[in-house]
Amino acid sequence: MANTTAVVKPGRTIRLDDGLSPLARWVTSGVGLTLTRLAILVCVLGAWELASGRLLSKYWLSSPSAIGRTLWRWAEDGSLWSHLGATLSEMTIGYVLGCLAGIGVGLLLGFMPNLYRVVIPFFGGLYCLPKVALAPLFVIFLGIDLGSKVALVGITVFFLILYSTLDGINDIDRDLIQSLRLMGATKSEISRKVLIPGCLRWVFTGMRIAVRYAFTAAILGEVIASNRGIGYLIEANAGQFDSTGVFAGVLVLVFCSLTLSELLTRWEASRGGSAGGFGPGS
Amino acid sequence: MLDIRAGIMRADMQKEDALKIRLEGVSKTFRSRGREVNALGNVDIEIKQSEFVSLVGPSGCGKSTVLNLVAGLLAPSTGTVYYDGEEVQGLNGRVGYMTQKDTLLPWRTAEDNVALPLELHCRGVSRAERNERVADIINLVGLRGFEKHYPAELSGGMRKRLGLARTLIYEPETLLMDEPFGALDAQLKLLMHDQLQTLTQQRKMTVVFVTHDLAEAVALSDRVLVFSARPGRIRAMREVPISRPRDVFTVRFTEAFSRLNEELWNELKDEVVKGTDV
Repeated sequence: MANTTAVVKPGRTIRLDDGLSPLARWVTSGVGLTLTRLAILVCVLGAWELASGRLLSKYWLSSPSAIGRTLWRWAEDGSLWSHLGATLSEMTIGYVLGCLAGIGVGLLLGFMPNLYRVVIPFFGGLYCLPKVALAPLFVIFLGIDLGSKVALVGITVFFLILYSTLDGINDIDRDLIQSLRLMGATKSEISRKVLIPGCLRWVFTGMRIAVRYAFTAAILGEVIASNRGIGYLIEANAGQFDSTGVFAGVLVLVFCSLTLSELLTRWEASRGGSAGGFGPGS
Repeated sequence: MLDIRAGIMRADMQKEDALKIRLEGVSKTFRSRGREVNALGNVDIEIKQSEFVSLVGPSGCGKSTVLNLVAGLLAPSTGTVYYDGEEVQGLNGRVGYMTQKDTLLPWRTAEDNVALPLELHCRGVSRAERNERVADIINLVGLRGFEKHYPAELSGGMRKRLGLARTLIYEPETLLMDEPFGALDAQLKLLMHDQLQTLTQQRKMTVVFVTHDLAEAVALSDRVLVFSARPGRIRAMREVPISRPRDVFTVRFTEAFSRLNEELWNELKDEVVKGTDV
């Protein structure tokens, strides 16, 4: 019992796979890992395919081959691309508008503390509101086309960016501003040289988080009311009790979010520790 | 009544043409969480043009408060602060203030931080001149080779020197310094003393220097003010009987230096003991 207490030398990395057999090590790293994952996927899909129509009802759970055929059909007749394009453009336009408005209003409130004090409860109230609740309103105002989805994405992103901008400004050391004032800096110089660069890091963090929210908001908007987009595709197929179509739509979403996540992760990695931070120290 | 007095005083000072800073019956009380802290008792201080004055005293005796009052960051509770014969109201843009805490911008490199005061519209320095002056001053504070480093990558002592460079580069007519060399090792401190003396003498700057280090105060100053424990009052004031510029490396071995140092230490000692009791 005594030797269960491991003495870890400083600087030594503790590896969780210490003491694994060679087979286990192969399965959990490198090429072996990829093959293992593929094998799991093939097994699950194979079991699903075999069970479908025998153990499981084709009506409720469809089958991988049927889903594949549906996807292929959509890709061939071009509907997949037009729906995907619709979703991505709603998301992109809403995201860009939301970011611009969020940064703009955030800086404005940051520069005008008195205005901030007056209006911040209103923003706070709206921020807490689940934005989906506004979706029906946007449909009434803007119809079931692009506009209502852009609005939903936009408002979701707006609040995220607004609050990260405000957090960024609040995080700035007041002494920095005071020291610049003593040097004779004007208000606009203080904005340009302290407030804006000081909150940039927070704004970037907010923008990164907001991408995922924008995607969710676009899909939600489409599921609620629309005539195009991946969310619409899922909703329309569900309306016809076509489980194959629903699964196919979900699969497209899985691919989209995986790609999006991967892109974001790469982007973050390429920015490294130094870009957003100030040298390796932070 | 007050206006008339100020007017007469201004006239007086123009006659003398020497007083840069004048604190008259100044006290400062801070209120925090319902408790009143009397940081600065009733003090009168006069500082002449181009004079180097050090303020020493136990922690919390209001030395830094004096600097904040002169910079216009704080308003006195009673009394009046005059700068060039005019009452200080709001920020006093004619002083360069090196605070205890460094206020370097973390997202700017060392050289960009130092260049900051020259970038401001009110100075209107051309890019070429700016680069030249930045290189000069970085060299002066011994930070050559660290121009591209961010403050987070520099040691505490290096950041202090960078802050000093940023304050000196725009050559303010008056320097307020709050323990600027506290974090430096002894040798580096002496080098910085030498450079500070050269610069302030060359440019005839008025300096108000706050420090814990009595020897530093005596070595650098024309005059040393010893503050009492809180509420801070002036307990002793001595002229340093050694002409400036001095050799900062050897001045501390002179007879005059050690005599004054000992004399001031006797004044300071009791206050430090009182200060730690509180």
